Amino acid sequence: MDLFFDQVLNGVGTGVIYASVALALVIIYRTTGLLNFAQGEMALFSTFITYWFTEQGLGIVPALLASVVVSFVGGALIERILIRPVEGAANPLNVVIVTLGLFLAINALAQLIFIKPGQEALQMPPVFPKGDLVFGIRTATVGFAAVLVVECLLLYVLLQKTKIGLALRAVASNPESSRLVGINTGNMLMLGWGLAAALGAVAGTLAATRGSGFDSSLMQQVLVYAFAAAALGGFDSPLGAVVGGLVVGIADALTIQYIDALDGIELVVPFGLILVVLLVRPNGLFGRTIVERV
Amino acid sequence: MHRSRILRALALLFAIALIASGCSGRDSEGSSSSSDGGSNSSDGGDNGGGEATGIDTSDCPDTDTAGIDGDTIVLASSFPQSGLTAAFAQISKGYKAYFDKLNADGGVEVAGKKYKIKVVDKDDEYNASKTVQNINEEVGADGTKAFAVFNVVGTANNVAIRESLDENCVPNLFAATGSPAWGNPDYPWLVGSTLAPYTLEAKAFADYLKENEPTAKVAMLVQDDDFGKAYEEGFKKAIEGTDITVADVATYPTGANEVASQITSLKASGADVFFNGATLLACPNALTEASADGWARKHTFVSGTCISKTLMGIATSTDPKSTDGVLATTNIKDPLNPAFADDEAMKEYLSVIDEYGADDVDPENGIVAYGYTQAAVLAYVLGQVDELSRSAVIDAVRSIDTEGLGLALDGVQIKMGADDPYLAENLQLIQYDSANQYFENVGDVIDFEGKTAELTPEDLING
Repeated sequence: MDLFFDQVLNGVGTGVIYASVALALVIIYRTTGLLNFAQGEMALFSTFITYWFTEQGLGIVPALLASVVVSFVGGALIERILIRPVEGAANPLNVVIVTLGLFLAINALAQLIFIKPGQEALQMPPVFPKGDLVFGIRTATVGFAAVLVVECLLLYVLLQKTKIGLALRAVASNPESSRLVGINTGNMLMLGWGLAAALGAVAGTLAATRGSGFDSSLMQQVLVYAFAAAALGGFDSPLGAVVGGLVVGIADALTIQYIDALDGIELVVPFGLILVVLLVRPNGLFGRTIVERV
Repeated sequence: MHRSRILRALALLFAIALIASGCSGRDSEGSSSSSDGGSNSSDGGDNGGGEATGIDTSDCPDTDTAGIDGDTIVLASSFPQSGLTAAFAQISKGYKAYFDKLNADGGVEVAGKKYKIKVVDKDDEYNASKTVQNINEEVGADGTKAFAVFNVVGTANNVAIRESLDENCVPNLFAATGSPAWGNPDYPWLVGSTLAPYTLEAKAFADYLKENEPTAKVAMLVQDDDFGKAYEEGFKKAIEGTDITVADVATYPTGANEVASQITSLKASGADVFFNGATLLACPNALTEASADGWARKHTFVSGTCISKTLMGIATSTDPKSTDGVLATTNIKDPLNPAFADDEAMKEYLSVIDEYGADDVDPENGIVAYGYTQAAVLAYVLGQVDELSRSAVIDAVRSIDTEGLGLALDGVQIKMGADDPYLAENLQLIQYDSANQYFENVGDVIDFEGKTAELTPEDLING
């Protein structure tokens, strides 16, 4: 039973990271109706920015906060400069193609800027102390979970309790009418991307300081699991993203422990789960069914 | 509704593409899952026949002296220079410094005439199909451009080019991985580097346990491909007939960094010895996880692909306990080990890198020392031949018998023969000192010379 518990904790440890990236995916989906395939690499870039700040002598927490601010601005600029020009096009696939292009470009750019020749891996100080336990659980896992809860609360307040949140939701649900009632849709879209980029900075930095070090592949597997998490929970549900992330993380850890036949291809489990969920509930566990007037 | 369905389908497609690209990824001088079966190439049968050491050239095209441009020998190479595995490009910094020094001194004397050495190379991002393209361009489809291929990085990458190079009788010298497959007799024009086959690392550790922990229960972490298989099968073969047992083997997907669940599972197997066959970030992560999990072990072994300053360094700074006393093997002198401070070869190496190395090269990086050593072996071979031709060079390589080239450890023979298709096989056991951050030599050089075939499961060589 101890072993089972340990593996569940391992799963939670990775699951919170999947959840926080899934959360960023959901934010962009909620505000713009888009799947952002570049989300993982944006988070990678933000992680390198955190790293850069630590190299300039900042502590890890101030560095992370600085990176969140820079990422927020960067995300908004990406929306304004790269996404907006193609967004008007009739075909929503155009934007998807742009995010795919960003996926490759940002990764290459990050390596070019931040990795010195011959450097196999980078390291920065951990956000949460390593080796210490809280109620027998690693501080990092507890800390990440706490960060995730705070993120969810902030998002909830922002989206449900503020005027800006209302505007954000309005733009997502009906851009035409929002514009008519005087909402600056452009600004709202920039805000959505900025928020997602800021969330990515947190997720990436936490992921990078969890183990011993990180490299430019940091977010690639994470993004796959995050998509799985978002699909599982429903692309429009922040709560779904969190639950989805944890489910996927735990399923992965338990597969590694108990199903030897799937050694090395543990990914089939989360994807099997998604398949089942989508068959039963096409909008995911927590997703809302979209009703359209014809 | 419609739109979100398209997006969702795209998301899944994209995820699958990502997994695929992740899987084809990296494995640090490792191997990858592509072994397109044994070749049905022409040479197989007549090989052991007529000449004792010389290889059969009766089917070769008339290009035996191609790739010599006046007094310059042109070599072709391909290795990652960008992307995730760009760090491997440092190998070339080592051999280029050696060749630059050689050229500055007038060149290498081959059959009474001095030649300069020039390496043309291209970036393949560790992608085997790009390697094929690069080598094809540099060597020419008919093999008339470069004289030989030199130090291509990656097992799958060398497997991908071996067929056409073999057909054109172009030497592919010193493939930069420790795959036991370089002993496959179907490909006489392909020769591995001084990196000892991975199965010998496993054997060295098994022998160490036999002496120090004869009833060890071993847990293994290996990558889910041929690279991992070489460790797993090699180790299992090495402990046959002993009281050492393998309690559990956990694998991780190629390209994954996260191995916490695997470590928890291995710890739960009750093993008291850890064979960490992981590479790149998965390796230090496995060490720090094992330590954080409080896994009590008597011995821990790490892959020879993990002994770099960076990888051991990040594990050590995360948790010094995680690396202290960790065992591994090598066959070259470690620039970080103060025991070699007065070593002549080391002094020469440091001065060559200092004078001829690129500005961004770090001489303490072990793979720079490794690259330098490959250049020294090639220069030695060229000095041995009576005429400058591909067939003469490959024959000279395949009958080499020397030691002390480049930074090869004293006692490491660089020796091949008709029945010995591996360049260097002897290994030195080393142990990490985390306070001073380098590997200390343990005991004497272990003599595996000429024994790889007998110590390696056959399917790893010919599979």
